[in-house]
Amino acid sequence: MADTLTRAARSHPAARGRLGASWVQRRDRRGVWFVVPFLLGFLLFMLVPLGYAVYTSLYTYRIIGGTSFTGAANYTQTLQSGEFWSGVIRVIIFAAIQIPVMLAIAFFFATVFDLGVAKFGTTFRTIFFIPFAVPAVVAAVMWSFLLEPQFGPFTRLAGALGFSGTNFFSPSLLLPIIIVIVIWEWTGYNMMILYTALKSVPRDVVEAAILDDTPLWKIIVRIKLPMVRSAIVMLIFLNTIGALQLFTEPQILASFYQGAVSLNYTPSVYIFNTAIAGDQTNLAAAMAVILALVIVAISAVSLVFRLRRGEIR
Amino acid sequence: MTVRTSRRERRRQARLEEQEQSIPVELYGLRRGTVPLLTALAFLFATFTLIPIAWILINSTKTQANIFETFGFWFARPFDFFHTFSLLFQNVDGYGTYIQWFGNTALYAVIGGVGATALSAFAGYGLARFRFRGSRVAFYVIIAGLLVPITALTIPLYLTYAKAHLINSIWGMVLPSMVSPIGVYLMRTYAEISVPRDLIDAARIDGGGELRIFFRVALPLMVPGVVTVLLISVVAVWNNYFLPLLIFNINTKYPLTVGLGLWSGRAVNSGDADLYPMLVMGGLVTIIPLIALFLVLQRYWRGGMLLGSIAN
Repeated sequence: MADTLTRAARSHPAARGRLGASWVQRRDRRGVWFVVPFLLGFLLFMLVPLGYAVYTSLYTYRIIGGTSFTGAANYTQTLQSGEFWSGVIRVIIFAAIQIPVMLAIAFFFATVFDLGVAKFGTTFRTIFFIPFAVPAVVAAVMWSFLLEPQFGPFTRLAGALGFSGTNFFSPSLLLPIIIVIVIWEWTGYNMMILYTALKSVPRDVVEAAILDDTPLWKIIVRIKLPMVRSAIVMLIFLNTIGALQLFTEPQILASFYQGAVSLNYTPSVYIFNTAIAGDQTNLAAAMAVILALVIVAISAVSLVFRLRRGEIR
Repeated sequence: MTVRTSRRERRRQARLEEQEQSIPVELYGLRRGTVPLLTALAFLFATFTLIPIAWILINSTKTQANIFETFGFWFARPFDFFHTFSLLFQNVDGYGTYIQWFGNTALYAVIGGVGATALSAFAGYGLARFRFRGSRVAFYVIIAGLLVPITALTIPLYLTYAKAHLINSIWGMVLPSMVSPIGVYLMRTYAEISVPRDLIDAARIDGGGELRIFFRVALPLMVPGVVTVLLISVVAVWNNYFLPLLIFNINTKYPLTVGLGLWSGRAVNSGDADLYPMLVMGGLVTIIPLIALFLVLQRYWRGGMLLGSIAN
């Protein structure tokens, strides 16, 4: 099929010339119809809801007096609320620990598999990637069982190792176990991305280094690392955005072991509880807008970074 | 054109190519024991990765008492697998039937995923191969859409649905899933690379309509990209928890994630029904189709495209 068409094109050079640019232009305008269905969905299910959320956030509902326009009141209330900020600080701490640890593990194994210095690389790569296919809800449920404070296998293991009475759901251990769960979920995925990026490092550069008797660790740190730096920076941005939205894991842990996770544990959990349990949709809308603005600001920085590097044209 | 080769032959060739690309280990001048040490570390992390999977496989065969009382990483009598599995087809606690949630998830994932892929392929091709008034603006609008976090969009969607009477409507779940800026971006990139302009021009000279050219000429060339976007979209719907949690309040509409979340909360309190084994079995049955899908479609994954896809 493709061959016939190419041949047809070659056999009609005159036709192409004669029809000229105006013909192409006219045809090109039809391209609009390819884009319209998406733009319609984009309008109805992104722009309209966002606009409506901003509108809603400017009003307040009171049992006496009903809904009235209160301007920025919901925003001031959110920004002055210690409960909101404690969630924000918690996800920042979470991101500051989880992302570097995960990326270090991911980069380590990506280089090991790229260099082929471990056996069974293909098998390990497939295994590491499996958690990406596991929904966060199921991952959180599985880990909740494993860490269950009375019977969980890991609780028993901790007891056998001399840490009897360990409660992984206690306030001091809750954030660490969420970090472990998220590392479990996402390391393989990040590793795959870095592995692919490493594969594009030209082979002769590495060969030249080997001929110079450069030790392996120097090849990794001096040659491989700089060449995937842009991928790593992107992953830092994208994982940060994900971390700020942390919802499913704490929400499932909360339902599994009641009382362990506070209602304002992360901003998303707090927004959910404000909207549903608290029935304060106007306030929740303001919180959602604030969270969105923070994340959009971070994403915009990453976008500028990508545009500068010419990754988006 | 190409000679049809068996799958085994192709695999062998891929392995040979990979060996050719990578530098022989001996050349690195490693100390003896480095390769075993690194393999052992990889083995450790693989163990960490597989522990929950092994646990859920083993414990899907156990009774509620045995899940808690026996050693977590070995089997125990009685072998309860088939009994628990059959319970997934019943409404045990009056709060919903697993198989119905499974059907809902499959429905939402298929309609949402196929819809997202179709809209993305159309729009991506349109942006890559046409220049029309506003095409640049449309592209920047879509890029801006990449920036909007899903969580931040969920509450607005919920508020809008409450106003528009779309609570408990499957369209409220399916239609927003079809709007995937990342899908459009990936399809545009892929169309740029894989659909030559000359080929489209030639097809036009042959007198095909634009739609016909898209389906007959462009789409076949975009298949690997289409598969990637389909996979990303299906997984996104399959995993979505926040949106359905908000917009559905009757259990016959729940997807798996919300149903399992409900069970994990009820299992603690329910005295009447043994929900823990069902939670374990439900989790197992939820992850098997996706793991299978990944292993089957693995060779379609384009690493470079993965990088774009985590924007969500």
